[in-house]
Order: sequence, then structure tokens, then C-alpha cells
Amino acid sequence: MTMEKTVQKSKVNVPLELAIFIAIIVTLIPIIWIAILAFLPNKSIIGSSFDFSFWLGNFRTLADPSQKFFRQIFNSLTITFGTVFLTLVIGSGSGYSLSKLKPPKWATTPVFILASFLPIVPPITLVPGIYVTLTNLNLLGSVTGLVLVNTVFNLPFAILMIKSYFDQIPDELREAALVDGASEKRVFFSILLPLAKPGLGAVAIYVAIMAWNEFLMGLIMTTGGGAAPLTVGIASLVQDYQVTFGEMSASGFVAAIPIIILTAVASRQIVSGLTAGAVKS
Amino acid sequence: MKNAAVSGRTRGSFSLSGRRATSVVALLPFVLFLAVFAVYPLYELLKLSFQETEVLDGEFFSAFNGLDNFKKIPDDPLAINSIKVTLLFSTLCVILTLVAGTAGALLVNSSRIFKSVARNVFVWPAVVAPVVVSVMWLLILDPTVGLINKILETLGREPQIWLNSKTGALISVIVVDVWHWTPVVFLFIYAGLNGINQEILEAGRVDGASESQLIRRIILPILLPTIAVIAVLRTIMSIKAFDEMYLLTKGGPEGATSLISLHIRKIFVEILDFGYASALSLCIVVILGLIVGIAYSLRRKNRSR
Repeated sequence: MTMEKTVQKSKVNVPLELAIFIAIIVTLIPIIWIAILAFLPNKSIIGSSFDFSFWLGNFRTLADPSQKFFRQIFNSLTITFGTVFLTLVIGSGSGYSLSKLKPPKWATTPVFILASFLPIVPPITLVPGIYVTLTNLNLLGSVTGLVLVNTVFNLPFAILMIKSYFDQIPDELREAALVDGASEKRVFFSILLPLAKPGLGAVAIYVAIMAWNEFLMGLIMTTGGGAAPLTVGIASLVQDYQVTFGEMSASGFVAAIPIIILTAVASRQIVSGLTAGAVKS
Repeated sequence: MKNAAVSGRTRGSFSLSGRRATSVVALLPFVLFLAVFAVYPLYELLKLSFQETEVLDGEFFSAFNGLDNFKKIPDDPLAINSIKVTLLFSTLCVILTLVAGTAGALLVNSSRIFKSVARNVFVWPAVVAPVVVSVMWLLILDPTVGLINKILETLGREPQIWLNSKTGALISVIVVDVWHWTPVVFLFIYAGLNGINQEILEAGRVDGASESQLIRRIILPILLPTIAVIAVLRTIMSIKAFDEMYLLTKGGPEGATSLISLHIRKIFVEILDFGYASALSLCIVVILGLIVGIAYSLRRKNRSR
């Protein structure tokens, strides 16, 4: 509050506001540029001058049944929802256990070591092992396999975040319910889980963004086949040696805009989720 | 926290076993997941790295070959190069994003006009998929359709081939990384700034400190632990970087942007030398594990002191 008052007393700092304005423009240019190119025909994209003529052809080409575009969007959506669901189910149980049930050391120590190790190593170093694992499970090149792999990589951070949300709920609540005769199961499902809902929402948004954006596992575990997510599809447009800048822009636009809108709308949850989880680690 | 521990222990005297069992059961799915998708892959990685492996019709054929795979590492100039490139890339990216993110947070925090807009917009790059970020920057850096060259040509200047020169490519991928991940630093520092007790700053102002003195003497020292956490986070992120280089430069030209992840992918997917790819991966895993383990035990020592 005191901050607000002192700020109001001081005048507008012109160089400072100008610097921020320039930073905003620099941040936005790549996003605006891809949005413009997504609606331009290839010939005006390639032309050396600026020629802006509105065109929907790039999206029409992508929507053509011969393209895998819709299939890849569907795959990405399935991977995203599957990963969020699994992460929340497993994460809420584990996060609750770590926060409120004080599990024995012999159970938590190996979990902590592995869970802090997993986010640190470059995913590519685990690729050979995961590749063999999925082959053995007969899940290589399947959407299910990608859901499982995405879940593993998101769980450590998700559990940490969920644990920190449960930490904020007073222990007395749990104790009182237990004294009143509620079972551990009942206490969790009817009292504590509903209270942690906003936190779980923040985790869900975070995990959804991570799963939607994931590329490396999608690339190697599907080798561009039928289970490939949208990110892999976009990458294959980049690597085609035909010039398809228009379609490239349009597909990138489709992948990025929903996430940016989600961020703009839910920025508070995302920010609180991100910072709460990681600062405590 | 202390209270919770105490009350937990006293309660424990009469229902410890029941809660203990529940606590382990609730952890079990996570443990199972880790076992199948972290421990088992690590075991396979370990096995692969001591074997010569061939794939025929989707079946693996392996034969033990001792340390042969590990002996290849010192003889592989590309591996050594990729470690150097990774170190250079990480150092520059971490420093630049830390400086830019901290400066951005300090600026936005004292802004009056753009505060709410900037707080929102400065987060956007971080949520865009790395693949899409690569496309965005390809559309800016590309020699023929790129925005920069279009502007240069409109101004009557010579177009540049950014991604085809060694230095140009490295600078380009660093610029892309800074654009992409400065928002993460910004978020944390901004949250940290808002957590500072305003009375401390007010006291400083009353004592006649200028804004820059406040930043240097009070704000930055308070933020130091936060900055340290993000520095670690950003170091890990930049060592893990893959997608942008894979799409923008393919590690080239002449390996100038070939990060360790790209090199391992190449051995695994293009050269199909599973054994060597695994041995190299294992070395990276062990080195990172050691670094983090040492950092963690140092932190614990500091805390207990």
C-alpha cells in the first residue's frame, strides 16, 4: 500500500516507460510476424518487399484431408488431456502424502532422489532407455506411450507444487475431521482435495502447456507416424525443402495462439503456480 | 511447519501405523511410475552402454563389449566440441536472461503506464512451444523471407545470411533463447520484488537513499537467494536445450551450435550407434548428478551451520 502512494506522488518517468514500451514491442514482434504471415499467400511471403494481402489459403491447405494436420491436433489434445489427468490423479495422492501423512524415510528418500534427478538431466539422455522400455511394453509409436512419458517428466514438479498447496491448508482441519470419526480416505476426498482445487487448477494449466509443447519425445517415439503430435508435424514442415512458409506460419499460429490466450486469461494462476512451486524447491 | 511436525508426532502415538500405511499407498503410483519410466530406462541405458546393439526388424540384438563405447568418447572430436558449445551457450544464455529478466522486473515494478500490460505480455514467450518459437525466428532470420532481411532490403542494404556463418548462427540461437526464456526470470524476480516488505524501502527513502541506491543496497541483496535459485534453474534449462537448435541450425554450421543433446540424438537416430549414444548419455547423467549432488550437500551444510 505504501508503495502505491509513493508511486502516485512521483511523476511519470518517461525514459523508463519508453524502455518498457520498446521491450513490449520486441517481445511481440515474432508473435505478430507469424500471425501476419499465416494469412499471406506464399508469393507475397517470398517477395522481397512488404506486400500484405489477406488470404486464408494456408489454413485451407492444412485442412486438406491429405494433410495429417487434424490428426496431429487430435493427437496433441489427447496427449495433453491424458497427461493432465494422470498427473493430477497420481500427483494429488503423492503430494498429499508428502505434505500431510509424513511417510517413512525409507519410502521418501529414493523418491526424492529420483524425482529431483529426473528434471535435471537432458531428456535426450534418457531416450535410449525409454525407447527400449516402450518397445518392450509395445507402446512405441502410440499416443498412450507419449501420455505415459509426458506424465513421468511432469510428475516431479507437479507433486512439488501440489505438496506446497496442501502445506498451506492447516493440519488442524485434517485432525478435527479424523477425531470426528472420518476415515483417511474420506478426509482426503471430501475435505482436503476440494480445498486444494485452485492449486490443482494451476498445476493442470502448467502441465497442459508443457504437454502441448513437448517435442523431443514425440519426435523420437513416433518417428513422425500416426501418433505424432502437432509439434512434430510443424517441425516436419520446417524441414521440407519445398518452400511452405505460409503453411508453416499457419500451423505455428494454430499451436501458439490458444496457449497465449490461455496465458493472458489465466495469467494469475500460471504465475502463482510457477513461482510457488519452484521457489520452495 | 514446526507446529505441524509436533502435532503429527503426538497424534502418531495412537494411529501411526494406519497413517503410515496410507502414506505409502498414496505414494505408490508415483513410485511405480518412476520404477517403470525412470529406473528401468536408466537400467536399460546402463546395459546399452556396455553393449554393441543392432536393430533388425524392430528387434534388438546386443552383445557385451565392455568399455568399448566409453573409449569412443575421447576419440570423438564432435563430442568434445558439443560439450564446449553447450558450456559456452549455457553460460551466455544464463547471464543474459538473468540480466534482462531482472532489469525487466525492476522496470515494470516502477512503471505506471505499462505495468499491467507488460506484466502480462512479458510472460507470453515462455508459454509458446519451442518448436513454434523456432518457426517464429526462422521467419525473422531466414535469408529470403526473414523480416530482418526484408527490412534491410527495403532500406537498400545488403541482406545477411545469419544462420550460415558460425558466429552468426551461435548469436542467433542465443538471441532466440534469451527471447524465449527471459520471461521465466522476469516472473520469479517480479514475484520476489512484490514480496519485499515496503517498510524497509520506505525507511531507506526517508534516510535519503536514491532509487538506484535502494536497488543496489537493499533490493538486490534481498533478492539474491531468488536469483540464485533461478540461475540454477536456467542453467539446467540451457543444458537441456534441444528443439530450437534442432530446427533452426541442425547444430551447424560446422558444429557451431551442436549442443550435447543434438549430438546424442544424431548418434542415436542417424548413426544408429545405440551403445555409444548410451555411453555418452550415461556420462552426462553422471556428471550432472555429481554436480547437483555436491551443490545439494553444500546447501545443506550451509543451512545447518
